[in-house]
Amino acid sequence: MPGILHSLPYFVAGWLLLCGLYGLVTSKHLVHAVVCLAILQSSTYMLLLAIGYRVGGAAPIFADISTSKLVVDPVVQALMLTDIVVEAVVVALLLAMVVKAHEKSGSVSPNDLRTLRG
Amino acid sequence: MTNPAISPALAVAVPLLSAAVLAAVRKWLTRTAMDLLGLLASLATLAITGVLLYGAVVHGASVYWLGGWWPRGSVAIGIAMVIEPIGVSLAMLAALLTSLSLLFSWRFMDAGGKHLHPLMLIFLAAMCGFSLTGDLFNLFVFFELMSIAAFALCGLKTAEPAPLQGSFNFAITNSVAGFVVLTGIALLYAVTGALNMAQIGLSIGHRHDPLVLFACTLIFCGFLTKAAIVPFHLWLPDAHAVAPTPVCVLFSGLMVELGLYAVARIYSAIFAQSFSPHTQALHNLLFAFAATTVLLAGFMCYAEHHLKRMLAFSTVCHAGLMLAALASGGALGLAAMLTYLVAHAFVKGGLFFLSGVLLHNQRSITERELFAKGRGLPWAAALWILGAVGLAAAPPFALLLGEAAAEHAAELHHLEGLSALFVIGGALTSAAVLRVGMHTFFGWGEGALTDRSAEIGELPETTPEDRKLRPYHLIPPALCMLLAIALFADPHWLRILRDAAAAMASQAAYLHTTYTGQNVPLTQSSWREAIPGAVARSILALVLGLLVALSSVFRNTLPRKLRLGAFLERGFRPLREMQSGHPGDYVLWMTMGIAAFGSAAMLLLRR
Amino acid sequence: MTERARNTLFFIAGPVLFFLYGYAALNLPPWGSYRGPYGDAIARLVVYQRHATDIVNAINYDYRGFDTLGEEFILFTAVLGVSMLLRKEESALTKPAGKLSDEVALSGAVRAVNLPALLITTIFGLYIGLHGQLTPGGGFQAGVILATGIVLIYICENTSAFWRITSHSIVEVTEALGAGAYAIIGIIPLFAGLPFLCNFIPLGTTGDVFSSGTIALISASVGVEVTASFLLVVYIYLQEIIAGALSEED
Repeated sequence: MPGILHSLPYFVAGWLLLCGLYGLVTSKHLVHAVVCLAILQSSTYMLLLAIGYRVGGAAPIFADISTSKLVVDPVVQALMLTDIVVEAVVVALLLAMVVKAHEKSGSVSPNDLRTLRG
Repeated sequence: MTNPAISPALAVAVPLLSAAVLAAVRKWLTRTAMDLLGLLASLATLAITGVLLYGAVVHGASVYWLGGWWPRGSVAIGIAMVIEPIGVSLAMLAALLTSLSLLFSWRFMDAGGKHLHPLMLIFLAAMCGFSLTGDLFNLFVFFELMSIAAFALCGLKTAEPAPLQGSFNFAITNSVAGFVVLTGIALLYAVTGALNMAQIGLSIGHRHDPLVLFACTLIFCGFLTKAAIVPFHLWLPDAHAVAPTPVCVLFSGLMVELGLYAVARIYSAIFAQSFSPHTQALHNLLFAFAATTVLLAGFMCYAEHHLKRMLAFSTVCHAGLMLAALASGGALGLAAMLTYLVAHAFVKGGLFFLSGVLLHNQRSITERELFAKGRGLPWAAALWILGAVGLAAAPPFALLLGEAAAEHAAELHHLEGLSALFVIGGALTSAAVLRVGMHTFFGWGEGALTDRSAEIGELPETTPEDRKLRPYHLIPPALCMLLAIALFADPHWLRILRDAAAAMASQAAYLHTTYTGQNVPLTQSSWREAIPGAVARSILALVLGLLVALSSVFRNTLPRKLRLGAFLERGFRPLREMQSGHPGDYVLWMTMGIAAFGSAAMLLLRR
Repeated sequence: MTERARNTLFFIAGPVLFFLYGYAALNLPPWGSYRGPYGDAIARLVVYQRHATDIVNAINYDYRGFDTLGEEFILFTAVLGVSMLLRKEESALTKPAGKLSDEVALSGAVRAVNLPALLITTIFGLYIGLHGQLTPGGGFQAGVILATGIVLIYICENTSAFWRITSHSIVEVTEALGAGAYAIIGIIPLFAGLPFLCNFIPLGTTGDVFSSGTIALISASVGVEVTASFLLVVYIYLQEIIAGALSEED
């Protein structure tokens, strides 16, 4: 039992990944699919932040604490910043595609947009 | 520490800067000026990568720490770029193909055409950064940059609904792949506390608990999605069917292959020691995926009647062959994959350029509409037939050398069925290209079959008044075919590639180069004795392909029992259903693929 | 594939994936016990080496500045992609500024709050941007705040004023120049024989606004680029709405 509790944030990250994938697979609306992709991305944030946390560590800003104090991992936070920007722009680009697809064919359901079959 | 003569970061910074400048001033430049500047920028990148390659070959591999952040002890605190012949030659290949694509797209696609150049330069920069980096998160960032530039380029022709769907499917599947890779990188970071590939390999050492296995699964499956291996390949035909021709050249020529390069690099730098008691099992697993890819994609390739979709499936088939070559093991397998990769890039690029020529000249891209229309294009016909010969890996193309090396490696490591796979893949793909060539350029037979996916057609990419073929349309494919043949004739690059592959496959050598900047010269023996066997098999593949194509073209004059070609052309219903165009289906196949790979890895590689 | 088949197959593959993930996660170090060398090594070095107190930004713009260069160009490429996908043919773009009319008349309270809100947001954005190397903040965050400030005009004033402000060519040029500036800041050290993206500006004293060399400079260029690109995206989507509204009227 203690083992599970120690890994609980990681399970939450895995659950988010699963939910995002399920949403993508069963989506009936393209905008919903794009948002599910964003949920998938959130699972990586959860994982990264959980990995970098240190109990009793301070935020990695040395403006008001001494340099010898223990801080949480700043590298994962930097990676997350990169990640968030990537997610935001991928979502923007995908939504532009959805808008244009709606304009051209009048529908936003993946079941109707099947000109590329076979 | 030896330092390279010029900074390798220039190979990334110069195209990025040029893209920014071109995007800033595009409102005020004429189309010709933009074409010229774009071409100059990519030629400059070609020159930079050429200088880097010369340095890497003559002075040996070296490392470049960005920002001057040398590692402290064994902890790398900055980002490293490892300048060794394989990565640099992939970057140089990217620059060459981009220059040829920009030449081909001179005054192309007047509507929205001004967006093409900045996006292609950014795509080039991302490919260069991807090939040269030695840091795992940096690899991910350039993977994302490459993907986003690709999504934008794929949707360039917004006047039709199909490009948006193809682009959307492409974007969803590759974004999921990117996040899966990031999850794997995060798991590796958790246990090693490092992002530099050499340092991760050092930290992991021999451990192969479930965590390392799962991280390996995630990273491999993400990059295999980019490499279009079954069941992660479903985005590729959709994307190729709708992207403009110069973009298709880059996708098939290099972007897909970079996924395989990433798998090879990550395996040899990070996981080689960890999997060392189970290398045979891992190779068998990869070979299983590769074999499925070759067979599935080969049959789908023959059943397609839209030229670009057919060539897309042939790319998937050859990606499977490259993975099979890699899976045959060791430094020899790596050398085989890389030889095949470079030669295939040129042949496939040339074929896509020729399909663009047909689209420009005849305003159509489906086999039925193009029937006998290509009769007045002798040069294009000759190059197209050469391309078909190349796909079968017959002499005088350098793909033969890759096939020979792969078969030699398979013999050494007791991997069955590799030669049969090469023959089947080569036969099916060259048969499809030959069939299209016979219908289009010679007008044999009585008309071509068609299928549902070919009905989407494609809007022509140039203005209707201008159908004349100009030199800049024919020079790129001619140059591509010429280079594919020249690589066969020249023995020096093969020796360099063999030695570089030996160095890349050795984790110890990679660690040494990254931490000390010094080259570790390793060699491996040539595979000359395997070449005659490979020649025989490739000629067999070509002959089989020719027979199947002929049985398709002359199907009405053959008795019913012999109409093999027509039967294959109808395709198999389950395979067509798999390629459904629905993004949810594609993600489902990806999930099933990751689950399958992961379960197999846990079961086979655990003990 | 039918919906039922999709659901069934996912309910087999999904749990297998989740089980593999969980099985692997049990081998991770327990939550809260980060012990890796990378973060600690940098935390010990940053204040001494770069006179910056915000480690996360120091990593982003200096130690791993190459990643951020790639990320900034991801932003640039995506905005370029959006502008390419939603581009309008030159002939279809009539002069919309005169025809824009907001349907609901704005109340006096909203209009009164508009200008102070804009001022406060802009000052806050500039503060966040300039203090990136000292406290949490930096270029990306500042860019988003400044862009939001200008979008306040669209929300509170009228669409035509917003249209006038985000005149297409200036915003586009600024965005591209901001992106190019990062690459130029990286290339300049090469002329002095230093590695790419080396910090070559005097570092100043810790705690000062103008400290930590190129970190502050890169942060500023990123801020400019992000502001311009968010404004450009809002402008492009606004064009879509206007084009839609125009066709409905006819």
